[in-house]
This record gives sequence, C-alpha cells and structure tokens, in this order.
Amino acid sequence: MRRVTDLTLTELAAAIAARKVSAVEATQACLDRIARLDGRLHAFITVDQAGALARARALDADLASGTRRGPLHGVPLAYKDLFHVVGLPTSCGTKTAEYFRSEHESTAVARLSAAGAVTLGKLNMTELALGPFGDNPHHGNVDNPWKTGHVSGGSSSGSGAAVAAGLAFGALGSDTGGSIRLPAACCGIVGLKPTYGRVSRAGAMALSWGLDHLGPMTRTVSDCALMFELIAGHDPRDATSSHRPVPPVLAGLDAPVSGLRLALPENFYFDGVTPEVKAAVEAAARALQARGARIVPLRLPDPAGIVDACNVLARAESATIHSRVLRDRPHELGTAVRARLEIGVHVSAHDYLQAGRLRARLTREFVDEVFGEVDAILAPAIPEPPPALAAVTAGAVEEIVRRMGRFSRLTRPFNGLGLPVLALPCGLSADDRPLGLQIVGRPFDEATIFRLGYAWEQASPRRAPRD
Amino acid sequence: MSEPGPSKVTAAQAEIAALAGAIERAAADLALTEEPSNFEAVLERGAPRD
Repeated sequence: MRRVTDLTLTELAAAIAARKVSAVEATQACLDRIARLDGRLHAFITVDQAGALARARALDADLASGTRRGPLHGVPLAYKDLFHVVGLPTSCGTKTAEYFRSEHESTAVARLSAAGAVTLGKLNMTELALGPFGDNPHHGNVDNPWKTGHVSGGSSSGSGAAVAAGLAFGALGSDTGGSIRLPAACCGIVGLKPTYGRVSRAGAMALSWGLDHLGPMTRTVSDCALMFELIAGHDPRDATSSHRPVPPVLAGLDAPVSGLRLALPENFYFDGVTPEVKAAVEAAARALQARGARIVPLRLPDPAGIVDACNVLARAESATIHSRVLRDRPHELGTAVRARLEIGVHVSAHDYLQAGRLRARLTREFVDEVFGEVDAILAPAIPEPPPALAAVTAGAVEEIVRRMGRFSRLTRPFNGLGLPVLALPCGLSADDRPLGLQIVGRPFDEATIFRLGYAWEQASPRRAPRD
Repeated sequence: MSEPGPSKVTAAQAEIAALAGAIERAAADLALTEEPSNFEAVLERGAPRD
C-alpha cells in the first residue's frame, strides 16, 4: 500500500485539493519520517514541528471553507538553511545559529508559501555552501539515503537527502558550482539550476553574486516544473533578476521531443568518468533518440577558460561576502572552507575584472557556437557513483580540495555560462548507487530541458531508496 | 584578518598566481568594448524567440 509520503508533490497537491488527504496528515507523515530517519540522515538542521502543524491546520480550515491558497495548498516543503524564513534561524551550515539575517523573507520561499506550501524546517548543507560532498562538522554529515556512509552531494546535501528519503515533498537549494545538481545526482532526484537571473536570490545567503543560482529539488520532473513556475520571474529586490516573462512549462511537459537536436559532447564531459556513468548517459541519449530526438556528437568549447574565470570570481566574491567570519572567527570554520576563503583575499581587482570580461566573451562564444547547432546538451552530472565519504574527506586539506574540484568538474562550467541545467536520475550503479544526467539548455529555455527530462523520465523506471 | 601560516600563504599565493596567469593569457585579446555586464546581455540575447 502506498504511504502518503510515497506520493509525488503533484499527486499530493491533487489529493489534498480533492480532500482525500489533509494537509495535517501529509505534514504529520513527513514529521514522523523525520523522527524515524533523520537520526541517520542528518538532513535537517531545524525542524519546525509546531509551526508546520499549525500552518497545516490553518490550510485545512481554509480548504474546508472553500479557499485554496494555490497549487501547493498543504504540501510540506523544506529549505536549505541559507534561505531566510521568517521566525526560523539561518545558520548557513556554520556553527553560528543565526549566521544570516535578511530584512525580508526569501522571495522564493515567500512565493511557495503564498502558493500554499507548509514549511517543515531548514535543511543541512555544507558549511557556507562550500563543498560537494555533504559533510558538515557542526550539524553532522548528511548521509546518502541509498547507501549509508556515502557522499550525499553538496552543498544542498540536506535538500537532496530529505527529498529522496521522503522527509519532504520538495526542497529549495542553491547552486554556485553544482550545489543543486550534485546532491540531486547523488541522491537520485531531480534538481534544476535555472538560467542566471531567472529566480530571485533575494533573502538568501550569497556565496558568489555572479555565480549563485537558486532552484527546486524534487522527486519528479513534473514536481520540479511546478515549483519552478512558482518561484521564477522578476523580483525588484534582486538587481540581477531578469524581466523576461516565464512561459508555462508544466503544461508543455509531454509535448513531443521529436526533431530536437541534442549534443553528446566529444570532449571533456566524458573524460575520466567511470564506464557505468558513460554507459548510463549514452543509454539516456538512445532513449531520447527513440522518441525522435536527433543525437549530434559535438565538440564543445574547451571549458578551461570559463572555469578559470569562475574560480577567480567565486574566490574573490566569497572571501568578500564572508570577510567578517574570516577575520573575527576563523577558528569556527572547517579547515577546507577556511582555506578556500583565505585564497580569495589575495585576488587582485585587476584579475577579478578581467575574469568578468572573459566570462562575458566566453559565454557569447558558447551560446553562438553551440546553440546554433543543437537545442540542448546531454552530459553526466557526476563522474562516478557517490563515493564513500570517509575516503574523499581523508588526508591533507590540499588533497581534499583537489578531490572537491574533480568531483564537481562536470557541473561548474555551466555556472560560469549561466545556462539552465536539469539534473536527473540516470539509473543505478551495479551496487545501487545513483548516477546522474545533466540536460543543458539555451538561456531562459527551461521549457525545453523540462520537456526532454520528462521524456527521459517516462522511459526510465522510477526508483526510491529503501528505508 | 588572522595571519595565515607561511605554508598557507605560499599555497594560496601559488594558486592565485596560477589563476591570474591563466586569466591574463586568455584575456590578452579582449576587445576594449568587452565589459563584465555583457554577460547578462548575452543571456538575454541568446534566449529563444517568443
């Protein structure tokens, strides 16, 4: 028999609207799973049990009196602990409970709440969103729901684990170098890094103003598309927010993919990936080809330049944003996080500005060259199945930082390029560890990557980790 | 700012020097009209036509 927490976000929203399930039942079911499983997973930093149940009761009363707040009426969600949610502390994964405060609630959270969502609490993350493995010295390492002791992906590690394990129906994450897509891939769920400027960053802790993207993490493509529609669009509180209208994406998910041209990269993106990962992504390409898409082997512009530019921008901006903790309380930071921040202090203004100019040119060249030939790109999200956490976090800090770079090398170029990327499950390894696919679109064309993702999802069996 | 130890300074400076060198080489032929904010314009221009 299916439990309430086995429903997808869209299924639950429909069930609540049809009064087959109440918001209180759904919320309590999540809270029960959190109580049962989170001792191992460490997905949550703050669970707002009283607040969530009070909100659910109010939403049930609204529905009983004929008022449906929106498409998420009564659906329990949770947020990475760098989104400011009124009434809850925001640690950003640091030792300081209230590390980040904002005058206004996160715009993305406020839009989801206005659509009827229930806030379960705040999710664990890598300290200051720096790191791809999901480890945290202050709040516990987020465990992989599929295989204990293995990397859950970072930095939105709690978001990935909570959604995969059925502790929440959806979550928000942030992505500066892969921090939505890596945990989505490691935990076997769907995650969207939208186009730069598509989703407001207001009310969320910044790591890098130029590279940060906020987006949804869910169990299915439909769920992700629904959350995206609700949070996307211009926000006067974020100066980088685009004025471009957001087209409906949910309604077009099942449109045919026939005729779409999909690049399978001939360089970089399959270099050094495990044979299982390569085979899985090629199988996804064949499945889309069987539905009429055209696969185009394509040599993409060398990502080395954009990655160098990103490294300069990210290091300078993160060191600037977090200069106070680096100056006043450096002993509170983890060793690798402190080392990465300290490097940024040495970036010159000249190099920072040159990196920004270079990024603009490389993005123009990439968009013109690649999207003149194809409509989207298929690539792996992670180069290997999630490795054992103890193995990747052992040794000297320099070696750990190098491992971090290797594990996130397939996601980072697209932060510099600002392109929309959907990360999706792409089967399992022989020992049941998730593999991940990235579908990369042209700027502001989230609709096409959702369509392709939905087509792939229909062709692949949906799997969930065992408790 | 706390004083990092000598080995940290060396490692940090080496990494920044390497990055700066790479950026300087890649940016050597940038046009005078190229500015960082062109990035957002490129994304807007590259969007699908409605």
